[in-house]
Parts: sequence; C-alpha cells; structure tokens
Amino acid sequence: MLSRRVLILQLSTTALVGALVSRIRSAAAADKTVKIGINLPFTGADAHDAELIKDGALLAIDEANAQGGAAGYKIEVLLLDDGTATAGQYDPAQAATNARKMVADKGVVAAIGPQMSGSGKAMSPILSQGDLATITPSSTNPDITDPKFAGQYRPKGKAIYFRTVTTDAFQGPNMANYYADVLKVKSVYVLDDSGAYGVGIADTFQAQAEKRGIKVLGRDQLNPKETDYATTLTKIKSLNPDALYYGGVAQAGVKVVKQASDILPKMIKGGGDGLYGAEILRGAGFPAAAGWYATIAAPNILENAEAAPVIDRFAKKYGQQPENYSITAYDAALVILDAIKRVAASGKEITREAVRDAMQTARVETIQGEITFDENGDLQNRVISVFRIVKDDKYPPDDVLHQYKYLGVAPQSS
Amino acid sequence: MTRTPARLAVFGITAAALLFPLVNQNDADIDSAANALAFAALALGLNIVVGFAGLLDLGYAAFFAIGAYAYGVASSWQLQPAWSGFWEPFQWLDLVIRFHTAGGDVVHFQVSFWLMLPIAAAIAAFFGVLFGAPTLRLKGDYLAIVTLGFGEIVPIVARNIPSVTNGAMGLNGVAAPRFFGFDFGIDATPYYYVGVAIVAFLILTSQRLKDSRIGRAWMAIREDEVAATAMGVDRVRYKLLAFAIGAAFAGATGTFYVAKLQTATPEMFMFPVSVMILVMVVFGGIGSVWGVVVGALILQILQSWFLEDLSEWLHALGRFVGVDWLQHVELASSIELIFGLILVLMMLYRREGLIPAARRTRTLSLDEQTVQPARSGFTNLAARDDGSRLPLLEIVDLAVRFGGLVALQSVELSVPAHSVVAVIGPNGSGKSTLFNAVTGLVPTDQGTIRFAGEEIGRLRPHQVLDRGIARTFQNIRLFPNLSVLENVMVGMHARLVTGPVGAVLRLPATRGEEAAARERALEILSLFGNRLLPRAEHPAASLSYANRRRTEIARALAAQPKLLMLDEPTAGMNPAETLELADQIGSLNRYGLTVLLIEHKLDVVAMLADKVVVLDHGEKIAEGPPAAVRRDEEVIRAYLGRSAVFA
Amino acid sequence: MSDYGVLLQQVINGLSLGAMYALLALGFTLVYGILELINFAHFNVFMVSSFVGMWALELLGLSGQGQVLTGLALAGTLLFAFAVTMLAGGVLGVAIERLSLRPLRGVPGTAAMITTIGVSYILFNVILLTVGAGSENYPNPLPVVRWQFGEVIIELKTLLIWGVAIALMMALQLFVNRTRLGKAMRATAQDPEAARMMGVDVDRVVVTAFFLGSALAGAAALIFGLYYNYTSFIIGYTAGLRAFTAAVLGGIGSIPGAMVGGVLIGLIETLGGQLIAVRWTDVIIFSILILVLVFVPTGLFGRAAPTKS
Repeated sequence: MLSRRVLILQLSTTALVGALVSRIRSAAAADKTVKIGINLPFTGADAHDAELIKDGALLAIDEANAQGGAAGYKIEVLLLDDGTATAGQYDPAQAATNARKMVADKGVVAAIGPQMSGSGKAMSPILSQGDLATITPSSTNPDITDPKFAGQYRPKGKAIYFRTVTTDAFQGPNMANYYADVLKVKSVYVLDDSGAYGVGIADTFQAQAEKRGIKVLGRDQLNPKETDYATTLTKIKSLNPDALYYGGVAQAGVKVVKQASDILPKMIKGGGDGLYGAEILRGAGFPAAAGWYATIAAPNILENAEAAPVIDRFAKKYGQQPENYSITAYDAALVILDAIKRVAASGKEITREAVRDAMQTARVETIQGEITFDENGDLQNRVISVFRIVKDDKYPPDDVLHQYKYLGVAPQSS
Repeated sequence: MTRTPARLAVFGITAAALLFPLVNQNDADIDSAANALAFAALALGLNIVVGFAGLLDLGYAAFFAIGAYAYGVASSWQLQPAWSGFWEPFQWLDLVIRFHTAGGDVVHFQVSFWLMLPIAAAIAAFFGVLFGAPTLRLKGDYLAIVTLGFGEIVPIVARNIPSVTNGAMGLNGVAAPRFFGFDFGIDATPYYYVGVAIVAFLILTSQRLKDSRIGRAWMAIREDEVAATAMGVDRVRYKLLAFAIGAAFAGATGTFYVAKLQTATPEMFMFPVSVMILVMVVFGGIGSVWGVVVGALILQILQSWFLEDLSEWLHALGRFVGVDWLQHVELASSIELIFGLILVLMMLYRREGLIPAARRTRTLSLDEQTVQPARSGFTNLAARDDGSRLPLLEIVDLAVRFGGLVALQSVELSVPAHSVVAVIGPNGSGKSTLFNAVTGLVPTDQGTIRFAGEEIGRLRPHQVLDRGIARTFQNIRLFPNLSVLENVMVGMHARLVTGPVGAVLRLPATRGEEAAARERALEILSLFGNRLLPRAEHPAASLSYANRRRTEIARALAAQPKLLMLDEPTAGMNPAETLELADQIGSLNRYGLTVLLIEHKLDVVAMLADKVVVLDHGEKIAEGPPAAVRRDEEVIRAYLGRSAVFA
Repeated sequence: MSDYGVLLQQVINGLSLGAMYALLALGFTLVYGILELINFAHFNVFMVSSFVGMWALELLGLSGQGQVLTGLALAGTLLFAFAVTMLAGGVLGVAIERLSLRPLRGVPGTAAMITTIGVSYILFNVILLTVGAGSENYPNPLPVVRWQFGEVIIELKTLLIWGVAIALMMALQLFVNRTRLGKAMRATAQDPEAARMMGVDVDRVVVTAFFLGSALAGAAALIFGLYYNYTSFIIGYTAGLRAFTAAVLGGIGSIPGAMVGGVLIGLIETLGGQLIAVRWTDVIIFSILILVLVFVPTGLFGRAAPTKS
C-alpha cells in the first residue's frame, strides 16, 4: 500500500523527469529570420521602465519588419525577463541565465539590454564567451567596458557590451564642470539614492567637483523606500551650500524634488538622468519641479529634426510619450538593424560574430545623432546634455520634451 | 515495505539529476537548474531553523549575504592592502599572491573556492551565534522581528562599506573555481554538478541530524519548549546550534552562488529573498527534508522555465472561455502576488506543505485497541533500592512570589529516599508551583532546595533533570507531533552524548548509542504492556488521554531519575485505570524510585503514600501518615470549609 | 542657520514624523495587545488606505496641490476624506482578520504571523500591479501657510498632523477606558480565558481591535498623503518597520507606549540623521529594536510579559 507521501514523491519525480525531457529543444531551422534578444526586468520594481525601453526597441523593429525586415531578414524578438519575484527587481542571477539562453539559441544574432548594470556585470562575461554582442540603452556603470576589467567582463577580448548611453564616467564629471563653469557654484552638497547607478554617478560628480575647486560640504545616502527626507534637507539647509546634486533614480528623486522645494526653495538643484523623465514631472509636479537641472547621457533629441516623427509614432502606437531610454533603445535597435544590413550587403552569412564586428564599426544616423563606438563598446560621442525644468503652460505638465528646456552641452573635462 | 518505493524514488531523482546536463545540453537550462539547486540548499538550511527547531527566521538572507561576500572579498581584486612580510606565509599557502601595480606591490586575495566553502560556512555560523546569543531566548514572534532586523542591517552595512564590498555597485572580478587546473569559467555545467553535490550533502546532513538526538531535541523545543527543558534539553544551546547550522548552510550556498555569478550586489540579499526562501519551505513542507527541496526546485524552476509557457496556456485558456483578462495576464509580473497567495493559502489549508514531514502509522488490530487494565504493577524492573533512607529532597523555608501574589510561603518538605510522598491540597494551594520551583521553571524568592545534598534552587530546568529529577505536568505536556517512541527518547536526552558531528558522521559509537537508546525506550514502553507498544510510531497527539499520561510517565522514566515527580498522574482516568496506574507507581517505588506525587484522589494517596503533606494558600498546614492527615482538623477545614469540622 | 536653529527644526521635523509613527504604532499595538499577533499586513493596509484617500479626494474633483480650499469647504472636504479613508482601512483590516486570521486562531506557533506576511505581500503586489510603481501626486486642498519663528519654520500641515493625531489618540484612550467595549478589550488583552468566562464576546473584541487599529492606519495614511503630497506602493515598508520599532520601544500592547514610542523614533530619526548621517538611520533604528527586545522586552510602558508562551 503506497503512502500518500511516497506517492507525491513519485509524482514529483515523474513530473521533474517529464519536465527535463520536454526541455530538450531541437534547433529551429528558420529561413530568412534572425532573432534579437531583449533582456529587461519586467518583474518587480523596475517593470515600468522596462516596458518603456522594450516599446522603444520594438517600435524600430516593428517598423523595419513592416518594410520587409533588415536586408530581407525578418526580425524575431526573444523577450527575456531578468527580474524575479525572489529579488523583487532585476536579478543578476536570472540575467546570467538569460544570457546563456540567448547564447544557446543559435538564431539570436544580437541583443538589446540589460537595463541595470548589476545584470550587465553578470551577463557580459557569458556574452563575450558566446560572441554575442548586446547594446544597452541605460546601463551606465563604467566598469563593464573599462579596459581595466576586460579580463573579467570580456574574456575573449573583443568589445561585446555596447551602449547608446554615455557612462557615469562622463555624466557625473561633465555636470560638475557645468556647475563650476556655467552656474559658478562654489560649494555643493551631494546626495545619492544608495543604488548602484546613483552611487556611481554621485561619486564621479563629487570627484570632479573637488578637482574643479568646488567645496563639497557633505555627502549622504538616501533610502529610496523612505518617504521623509526633511532631515537631510534641513541639514543641508543649515550648511547652506550654493547647490545640491542628486545622483539617483526617480523613486527617491521625486521625493527629493518635492520636499526640496519646501525646504531649499532658492538653492541651485540638479542631478543626473534619473531626474529626466515624466515620472519626475508627474510625481513631483509644479511648482516643486521647476528650476531643477537634469542631464542625459546623449545629445538632445529635440534638436534633431528626425526625432519628432519617431516621437509621434511612439505616442500613437503606445499611447504615451517616449522616455529618454525609449529613444536610446530605439537607437540601439537601429544600430543592430544597420549592422545586419551591412553584413548581408557584404555577402557574408548573418552570424553573431559578423554582426558584432559590424556593430563595432557602426556609423549610424539615429535620433541622438551619429552613433559610433570606441574599442571598448562605449559611445565615442560623449555628449552630456543639460536641461532645466521650466514650466511651459502651452503643454501638459508631464510632457517631457517641452517641460525640460535644453540648455546646452556640459563641458567636457580636459 | 514502504521504503522500497521511497528508495526507488530517491534513486530516480539522483539519476535524473546526474544525467540532466547530458540529456539537455542547453546551457541556460542548466544554469537555471543550478540556481534552483542553490535555493534548494537555502531552503534546507532554513528548514533546520524553522522546520526542525521552530524558530521563525525572517532575515535568513543575511547569512546568504555573509557567505557570498566572504568569498567575494577573499577571491577578487576588491581588497588590495600593501604588501608586507606579514603576507609571506599566506602566499606560501597559496591564499594570496603578490601583485605588482604602478603604486607598489599589493596583496591579491585568491582563496580557493573549495577552501572557502567550509570557511564561509564557519563565518556565517559565527555570525549566527553572534546574532543568536542575545536574542534566541525571545518569544517566537519577537525573534522573528529581530531576525528581520538583522536581515535588513546586513545588506545596508554591505552597501555602506564600499571599501570592502564595493558598495551598491557590486563586486567586480570574483574568481571562478578551479578544479585541478580546470577553470570553471562561464560554462554552467560544472557549477551544476557542484550544486548537486552541495544539495546532496546538505540533504544527507539534514536527514541525519533529524534522526538523531539533536533532531529530537530540536523538535522537542519546537513542540513544547517548557517540556523540552524539563526533559533535559538545554534550549538556549540547541537553539543556537540550529541557528548556527542553518547559517552555515546559507554561508556555503552564498559562496557557491557568487562563484557562479562572479559578482555580488547588496540588492541580491534583501528581505524579498528571505521571504522567498520561507515560501519555499512552507510550500514544500515545514520540517520535511525532501519537501523543502522539492518546494524550492518547483518554485525556482517555475519562475525560470515555465512562467512564459504558463502565461501562454492561460492566454489560450482565456481565448477558449472568452475571459478577457486571462488573455492578457502576464504571470511574470504577477509572480510575487502568486507567491503571497501561496503563503496564505498554504497556511490556511495545508499547513504541512506539499510533502508533509509526518510519519506513516500502522493501523492497530482489535486486540491492540482494547486492553484490560491489569493490577500487578510493573514486573520487569531492575531493583535499585540501596537501602538508604536519608532525605533525597529537602526543601527549607521556600517562598515564591509572583508580583504581589504569594504562591508559596515558608514551605518545608523532606522526601526520604525510596519513599513516596504525596502533596495534597485544595485548588490554588500552590502544589504545582512547588513542583515548578523544584524543577527550576519558576524562580524562588527565598529558601533552599537541596537534592542529594546539592543546592539546586538556582539551576535551570535541564540542569535539574540532569541531577536526577524528572517530572510530569498537570496538563500533560507531550510533544504532539512526535511519535510516542520519540517522546520517550527525548526523555533520554541528558543520558546520551551524541553531538551534531557524531550525528552527521554516524560513527559506530553513535549508531550503537542510538540503537541502545531505542531499545531502552521500547523496554520502558513495554512496561505498560500493550497500551503503548503498538502505538510506538503514532504521533502523541493521537493517543487517548490516559495513554498520553502513560507516555509522559514513560518519558520521565527514560531520564533514569532518582526522584520522579508526578503532577496528578491519575487525573482523568476511570477507577480501573486509576488503580492500575497506582499499582504501577507502587511497583516503581518498590524497585527503588523515590516518588513525589500531587494527587486529589485520596484513595490513591492512602494506597501509595508513606507521608502526606497538605498545602493551603501556599503554606503547609499538615504533615504525616495518610490516616492521621485525613483526620486533621485543619485539613478538613481547608478542603470542606469551617462547618465541616464540626460535622 | 545656527546650530541651535537647525536642531530645533529637526526636533519639529521629528515630532511630525513621530505623530505619524505613533498613529501607525497604535493600530499595531491594539491588535498585538489582544491577540499577541504581529500583524505584518497592518503596514500595507496603511498603504492601500492612502490610495483610497487619494481616490476619495479625486472624487471630489481635486487634483494636485493647485486647488486650495478654505473654511467650511475645507473642513467638509477633510471630514469626508478622513471618514472614507478610515472606514476603508477599518473594513480592510476586518476582512483580513475574518478571512485569513480567524481560521488560524488557536493554532500554535507562527502560522498566523506567516499568514500576515503573505497577506502583506498580496496587498503590496495588488497595488503594484494595478497602480504601478510610480509615485502619485496627492490631491491636497490645504492652503500652504508657513510661520517663521526665528530660524525655525512651522507649516500649517504640521499642525494638522499633530492636531489629528492627538485628537485620535485621545479618542482612543476615551474609548478604551470609558466604554464597555473598551473595557472588554482591556480585559481580553489581560486574560482572554477569563474574559470569555465573564461573558465577553472575544470574537467581537478582536474584530473591534482590528477595525480600530486599521482605521487609525487609514487616518495616518491620509495625513501622510496630505503632508508629503505623495503616495506610492512602497510607503508601507519603511514607515511600517519604524512604527513597529516605536510600538516595541513604547511597550507592545500599551497605548500610551505606542504614542511615546512613535515620538521617540521620529526624533531619533531626525536627530540621528542630522548628527550622524541619514545612511545609517535604518541601522540605528534596527539596532534600537534589537537592543530593546533583548534587554527591555517590555519596553518603556509595557506590562509584564504576557502569559501565553
């Protein structure tokens, strides 16, 4: 007589074995299609931003497919989620698994993503081993493409982690230059949101600010899950610096903007590209958001006449305005499509190695201007654009393209 | 007979696990299987803490983080102290190398992965003891909150000390393991096999601990802490042990996980991870070794392999039945919600989990179910009367107060060796308090308690048991989910010596001790004839009231006490059973056991007691042989009221 | 700002925070006092209630901080919003008790606490999936009025918090000490068995405790939204842990303890942030939690350890 317990154990075994067997895949022989992997954190706290990035990339891919594909090859998308319930957000372990998945799938010739640098660190070595290039529209941690860590992140040597954003190695320091040269700031207080991106950009800003002779009166770290930042802001008020710099994303950023307008109304306030976006406008609203400076790690989109129709198409297709990273994702897709076209034109087979090499030598006109990569995979055109939020009553208050006034390019460090 | 299908299942699973990468060459699948194995290991560790010992730990991921960062720091380029002579021996041991940089020579840590596995386990265990020592005596829910606090603090500290951990940005350059020159690199398969080995080892360790003296002690603590200490289990020590071993499991797994990922960020170890592991344990079956492994594997693999497929099926189902939201639901983003639902539904409807930790019980024959009470007492005990009549237990001027309430006042009591002394008195007179004071469950405010010449008033309950006093409780405190046999074997805890290492290694000495203990326990059960022996494997909660009482007495006897303290042993028994038990107690005494007895049934008292002590309102009002006490005026007044004296 | 000025301002900040923590801690301590149950779901009831409050205000046509009301219109709006939010909170709390906790009454061990963790997760994710992860701008009809005393600024909304918090706490004290149901609650908290034998309907008492506690969380939630002009799915998390520490510090099960504890934690947060650094606030507060539980488990005002083991 079998006990229920043993029965369950046996059923589980059978189920597991069945599952294992069903996972054996045969390589799908597809003609005239290539796959692009898109790896983003669709589960958890970053899900919203992930959707916007995906939408940007898909807009470009769908438009290409509607016109017959890239060099006649239809583009299929392999969507992968590197967010897990376990982590509650992006999960580097899942990202690594996804990287392997993409590498194992012979049809995948290039990838877009990841969103977060933590995932990037886990994925890059695997992608390098598999010769599969990826373009990230938002991962800005400089370590991954830093030649110092090449042995870790690209063991095979060639650049594999391309970006359509400039890294924090430039976004932070260039803004420090802007503070020093244009805003004539003599003293600053630096805040970050304790996230990987925020800490990184605040660190680079602070280092450059000190080099430029700006006195850094203090540096502290905010907890994005907390609501009340009055303590820190009051402390900053008592120290009375000329300016405030916030490195971090909107989760804490919204609260900083809101509360700083009460406590530090007259101070010069700015931050990185975490402060550039509809969430800041919607979450903080006016009058709180007015006057804040923000940077993006790309040239200004609006200046480029090609941008407007893309923005319109995005808005029409998805019912909302594209964000900064939707555009960089769109551009990333354009780079891959261009690479595929050039490989086909040269008569070679569309393999991931060929696509990677083509990407390395890319020279693509995109919304953010002409994109070329250096030998590490970083953008050569290291433009950091500075914006200021100035209320424009002619447009809805969460219209990013019109409420952020373009001020110019942040000075490069010499 | 039921072990063969179970063995086959285990063999099948092992074979499947070993052959899997050969059958499915997809690197991504192997990788997610390896991740799932890591979580199975974590679930096994938490199972020891929550499942075996009953300690709710809501910050388990803290130990995961500690093990991860320990390896990460010890084998990456993160720390580069300046080179000095101090590091020479470490270089000789191949733990560090001297690295030339532009700024001078520095130390590069490259401790081997294999070495770090046990070291990280030890470091995590150390922190387990550090956290646990001040906090494990807290009540269950308070403990949960405190562990939650630790679980929050550790990632924050990791984030705030970037010089050591690279803070929020995560470690770079964590080295992959090397096996005799073969570098694991990025290929998932070698990690998978290491994962299988780790999980197999942890399953074996868990199983062995569970079926040992250690496991019994843990489960006793889980079921009823008070009874456990009264039976000789040092609960602080064993709680710490559970905590430390659980932490060690997590520490080793952390090393494995980070070696595979080659990076670590503080966000990988936050509260949702702790909750997730708890969900796996709850889902799989709290306390069940295989259960939590299956639970962890199912939930992890569900997330990485089947979620998209399941979403597709739901979409198809939605189209089929025409329900709109089904067609659009994305399980991936709702997975946290689903896990919350699993937690709630499991707690409400299937608390034992998927594969319960319960045991299999044989149905009883009709003969075994109906047993006639016998009147001969125990007939196969070894005589232990050494002839001495000196006082074994001496209580002098004892006072116990609870705040303003005086429970005992100026109580004097002397129990001569090999005698039976009965304590009687109206309800609320302090009898049970007296017992609690002697056995250390309640602190005394005044007076001395001497046992065999030694002052025991300050001792903790398990120490009192160790000295030779065993007791039963007025409202029967058995370990409900343990079998009758296991209950009795807990009683032997203080008389056995196997420690955790012995339990895991199952040395011949340990096996011999276990076998002997089991035999002795069965012997004790057989004293009660057919009442307990057929039910030896049944959970104690399933027994009749009278049988539970007998089991409790058997458990106390297992401790080989010199003094047996019985608190209303015949309460709730019918007259025939009462007399049967009274005879049995009498025979225990004849063979040398000293008995201190609280009883309400005066015929039992008259039958058994050499001396009777009467308490009323916390004070002794009479003492003497049963016949004399029965006629004592004070006693009559206390029991029946003033008017009865003149009746 | 002078050192003295900034410290004073931080004290004011701390007292505002403290008032909110006190309200949250009260609801939590009420349930614990009766059931000896740590209700993890409490803090997400708070979070859900803040959204209900937001929707109530939006129902009245308000959005953003632009439309300011005064006088009777303001009073009426606030009353409506408080009533709706507190009712919603109370109902949610009672529903949770009925559906997920009553079936587990009497089950030993930590099954009930684990269930509240699950419920907490469910509430959190339902909001995350329906409303999204973004911050919501809270509709706020309060006029922005600031008074400056030397270097220190006090706003109207600060007075609002204190006013409402004190009023609610006094009402709660009155209820618990002067009404029959309140007396029944205190009796049940001390000894459920005896209370039941004296004819107290323990089920009703439990439901009342949950309703009151969750309604207080609802009030705290509306205050929160009006004070910070913001809400999001995550607000329960940190506020919850801090309020919990406040309840423990004050003595779990004690109503005055929760109030005092809340204020203390608020002050520790702001003064700690000012004098040390904000990045260590969590560590400081958790350390306090652990130290209090280990060395003074009954807290400042707590009774002796409860009888159940």
